[in-house]
Amino acid sequence: MPRIFIKGIKGGVGTTTVAANLASMLKKSNLDVLVAELDCKNDLGLHFGLPWGENSGWSYAKNFNDVSECAFVDNEGIVFLPYGENSAPELSVSSLINDLSAYAVKKKAWLLFDCPANINLADLPLNKSDIILDLVNCDAICHSFMYKKLKLLSQVKSVWQHYFVVNKYNSSSVIEFDLYSLWQSTMPLITPFFINHDEVIKESTAYKNVAINCAPYSITKDDFETLAGWLVSKVSK
Amino acid sequence: MKYFQSQHLSQSKHFIYLILCIVFTDKIARLIRFKFSCYFKQYQMSALEAFLLPFFTLSFSLLFKFNNQKKQNKHFLKNNFPHLKTPYKRYLYSNALRCLLQSLFLLLFKNTHKSSYLKKRLAHYFHFWVRYLFKQFKWIDLKIGKFFKRLFSKNKTSRKNSAFYHVAQARIWQNKMVKYAIFALTLLLLAIFITIPFSLEAQAVFISFILIVAYSLRRIKGQMATIVMITLSVTTSTRYLWWRYTETLNWDDPLALGLGIGLLLAETYAWLVLILGFFQTINPLERKPVALPENTDLWPTVDIYIPTYNEPLSVVKPTTLAAMSIDWPQDKLNVYILDDGKRPEFGEFAQQVGVGYLTRPDNNHAKAGNMNSAMRYTDGEYIAIFDCDHIPARSFLQMTMGQFLKDSKVCLVQTPHHFFSADPFERNLNNHSQIPNENMLFYGLIQDGNDMWDATFFCGSCAVLKREALESIGGFAFETVTEDAHTALRMQRAGYKTAYINIPQAAGLATDSLSAHVGQRIRWARGMAQIFRLDNPLLGKGLGAAQRLCYLNAMLHFLSGVPRIVFLTAPLALIFFNAYIIYAPFIAIFIYVVPTLIQIKATNSRIQGKYRYSFWGEVYESVLAWYILKPTTVALFNPNKGKFNVTEKGGLNDKEHYDWSISKPYLVLLGINLAGMVFGIFRLFLSDPTQISVLLISMCWAAYNLIILGAAVAVAAEAKQVRTSHRIKADFSGAMRLSNGHTIKVQITDYSDNGVGIKTQHQHLCKVNDKVDLLMYRGNKQFSFSAHICNTRDLQMGLTLKDLSLDEQKAFIQCTFSRADAWLDWQNNFLHDRPSYSFKEVQKTSLRGFKNLLFHAPKPLQPIIKLITSVLTYIHSFIPTKPKAQNNYDQNVA
Repeated sequence: MPRIFIKGIKGGVGTTTVAANLASMLKKSNLDVLVAELDCKNDLGLHFGLPWGENSGWSYAKNFNDVSECAFVDNEGIVFLPYGENSAPELSVSSLINDLSAYAVKKKAWLLFDCPANINLADLPLNKSDIILDLVNCDAICHSFMYKKLKLLSQVKSVWQHYFVVNKYNSSSVIEFDLYSLWQSTMPLITPFFINHDEVIKESTAYKNVAINCAPYSITKDDFETLAGWLVSKVSK
Repeated sequence: MKYFQSQHLSQSKHFIYLILCIVFTDKIARLIRFKFSCYFKQYQMSALEAFLLPFFTLSFSLLFKFNNQKKQNKHFLKNNFPHLKTPYKRYLYSNALRCLLQSLFLLLFKNTHKSSYLKKRLAHYFHFWVRYLFKQFKWIDLKIGKFFKRLFSKNKTSRKNSAFYHVAQARIWQNKMVKYAIFALTLLLLAIFITIPFSLEAQAVFISFILIVAYSLRRIKGQMATIVMITLSVTTSTRYLWWRYTETLNWDDPLALGLGIGLLLAETYAWLVLILGFFQTINPLERKPVALPENTDLWPTVDIYIPTYNEPLSVVKPTTLAAMSIDWPQDKLNVYILDDGKRPEFGEFAQQVGVGYLTRPDNNHAKAGNMNSAMRYTDGEYIAIFDCDHIPARSFLQMTMGQFLKDSKVCLVQTPHHFFSADPFERNLNNHSQIPNENMLFYGLIQDGNDMWDATFFCGSCAVLKREALESIGGFAFETVTEDAHTALRMQRAGYKTAYINIPQAAGLATDSLSAHVGQRIRWARGMAQIFRLDNPLLGKGLGAAQRLCYLNAMLHFLSGVPRIVFLTAPLALIFFNAYIIYAPFIAIFIYVVPTLIQIKATNSRIQGKYRYSFWGEVYESVLAWYILKPTTVALFNPNKGKFNVTEKGGLNDKEHYDWSISKPYLVLLGINLAGMVFGIFRLFLSDPTQISVLLISMCWAAYNLIILGAAVAVAAEAKQVRTSHRIKADFSGAMRLSNGHTIKVQITDYSDNGVGIKTQHQHLCKVNDKVDLLMYRGNKQFSFSAHICNTRDLQMGLTLKDLSLDEQKAFIQCTFSRADAWLDWQNNFLHDRPSYSFKEVQKTSLRGFKNLLFHAPKPLQPIIKLITSVLTYIHSFIPTKPKAQNNYDQNVA
């Protein structure tokens, strides 16, 4: 079953938000989705309406049976697995990924991973059908990080499919417009679409929900529809 | 003072009441007093009226039964006195007279809706038989239609082993001799059909047979059926002309002979244009774009010329910016503004945006000279030309250039001229995008037809030319005022091919007043006549027969002035001078003329239906007839006279007015036709009965002329045009970021060069003057424009974009005007022609024309017209009318 790894090229580019909204969008198109959080900051649950005091997560689990105890289902039917508060988990990330994959194959579910920015992809058990979405913002820092990442990718000889997705794009900003135009013509691995900057993303977390549910007429919904559609077409290939 | 008056009044009221009590019973006296105060206070009648009215009511109540229910009374009034003016009380006296007249009418004439049993039975039978006949007719129609459909589908469905297939595939058909023999045989048959003299009965049978075949073909789609229709039309029309030449000239009456020959020549012209038109459009090519090679290194270099003379920068700007954004390798695309006005601000603008700016010391040879001089400074392999108001779509070169790479002999690819503003006809008749405009026939059908015969014309703009070909003929032809057509003609003579792609890839401004429009057409007409003299396409080397005929038709089209005026005045010959210009008995005229006209109209409607509605061609031609008459005649005799006039565009009409000077010729024609009608009516009563039928035919013709002329007159009423920028309908998606950061999806419904109309998907909370960012896409590139809201209505919103920088302007044009799909649906918006509907529309327009004439009449006449109309309407309001049908409810009450 498809495995999508969503990570930021640096912190704060909106990784968890994209993961949550993408999961919700996939679920809306009648696909079973399982979102797992690999980031120790433990905020995925907040997008799905989990109370802030809830601190359980897979980091406390000792084996896979315990892991299944920690998963939640939100009222749309999305299964999500928060990280928890334990800073030194017993289970390794790799074994978690493997176990979850086996489970997802059984359930025919899409597997989404919300990864921290500093995760080392080479350590993970990836194959060539896996899709890595590397989120970037349109700024000069990301620009240099992207070139660094390209260099790295050429060295490690990646087996996975790696893509850069522009998030929080605001075309009225001159620097963002110019950078994005540059990337469109020169940057490899960049997706042919982007996710617009929209205030409802911020507002929706105040509703303890994802943006595509809070603002159905917002451009954000279209953007995630495009992203989901693009992923489905990539996977079916 | 008032107090005293009212006190005085109440005293006298009391006194009168006392007197009334002497005569009437107490009850009635009280009623009268009550009614009086009611009328006096509530309806504010004068005291006398208020006093007398109750007596009227009372005396009427002796004769009629008044119910207490007000509603029923009202109903009664409404049904039996429908023409009373409301409020009744205000028009008391005139209504009283109306009442009286209507009562007399109701008393003296039978108006009941009840009919006798016998009548009912008869009506029933009549209804039944009509329905039965209709059913039978439909059945026959269906059978005939099916039969013909079978006949026509035979070719397609024939299997390989069928006899038909074997015969059709036989080698004998390839033999040249056989081909010629069949051709000759067809011609012979046609000649027999055309020339054999029939008795009237035989002709009636012959023509009705043709009409039946044509009628049953109407539902069959496809080229084959059209060709059969054309063949039938050619036969009938030629036969008609033959009959006219051989049998209908009155050699004994010199006046009738002279006028008759005049009409006959005009008819011959019309016949020639008809036949050539059929030939031209018999099988439109509908060329498709050819894909370019993947490797952009193989793409040639292109120069884009934007010639301008006196147009404002605001018109040239969008065109230049759009031309720069055409999808083509940037190093192979050069844009040049060719400024014959030599204006410094144009040079500045060109430098700012980075396009070439070319001027020349003189202005010799107008547009052609301008482009010839530019060719000396540029070196692209191909030259694309846009008039300075034609904004190209980004896909223009991708759509056209493939033709050149596919065939090295192609020297010109033309695309249609599309106008996003309404032309004077559309604007003044208020039928923009409801009825195909004048241009549509040429760009929708005729150019595609020409392309079939490799005779596509160059239309001066929205086209790409090959430099090599241009150089081989010595540059753009400058001897005539229509340099475009002449240039294409020369290139074709030199052995090059031309191509037409019927996909609008640019859009421009239409002429903005009727006089400018007429001026432009005069130039074309003069130019065509000049070419006819200087470089006659019928003579000279290098053209194929088909090309010659296509060019001939184009030129003949502009000579339509004299024949049109002949047709508009011909029926008057008989009415005024009793000159038999068609010297034949009534029945013969009827049998020859009417079916032939029907057949031709039906065929033309079938061929041109999507691009020109029936009868509108006559209107367009009538408007121009007088004006192109002189320049074409002059140019035919002295082709070197006359200079190039630039068509003015982008102007405003700040108020509605009637263009009297331009409508003068049609007013004269209208006047003499009207006089003819009046005279004809007199003659109907006075002249001897044998002439009446012919007179009636002439009057029908004159009436038709009146309708056409009325429509022509209607065009001269110039409507207001206050918008400097035209709104263009659109339907594509974008987004809008509000000042609070919310970014919502919107649909763009229209745009102009400084504004956008959008529609949101949900109820929005935006207010006028809110600042927003409008996000639009060009491909997958997003552009943001700061705008503010200028109006809101439900989901609809209007945005104004102000103070855009040059880069933003360019981006805006890329997102709107130069979208590849911006103009694609222009031809699909029209339904196929329905002649009856079209005729109704022309009639309506014509009526409007007459109304306009009265409305815009010159000041001294104005009061007289007003007086006459108001007197007439006042008198009309007194004429008794039939009571309305009563429903059961009323009958029950009665």
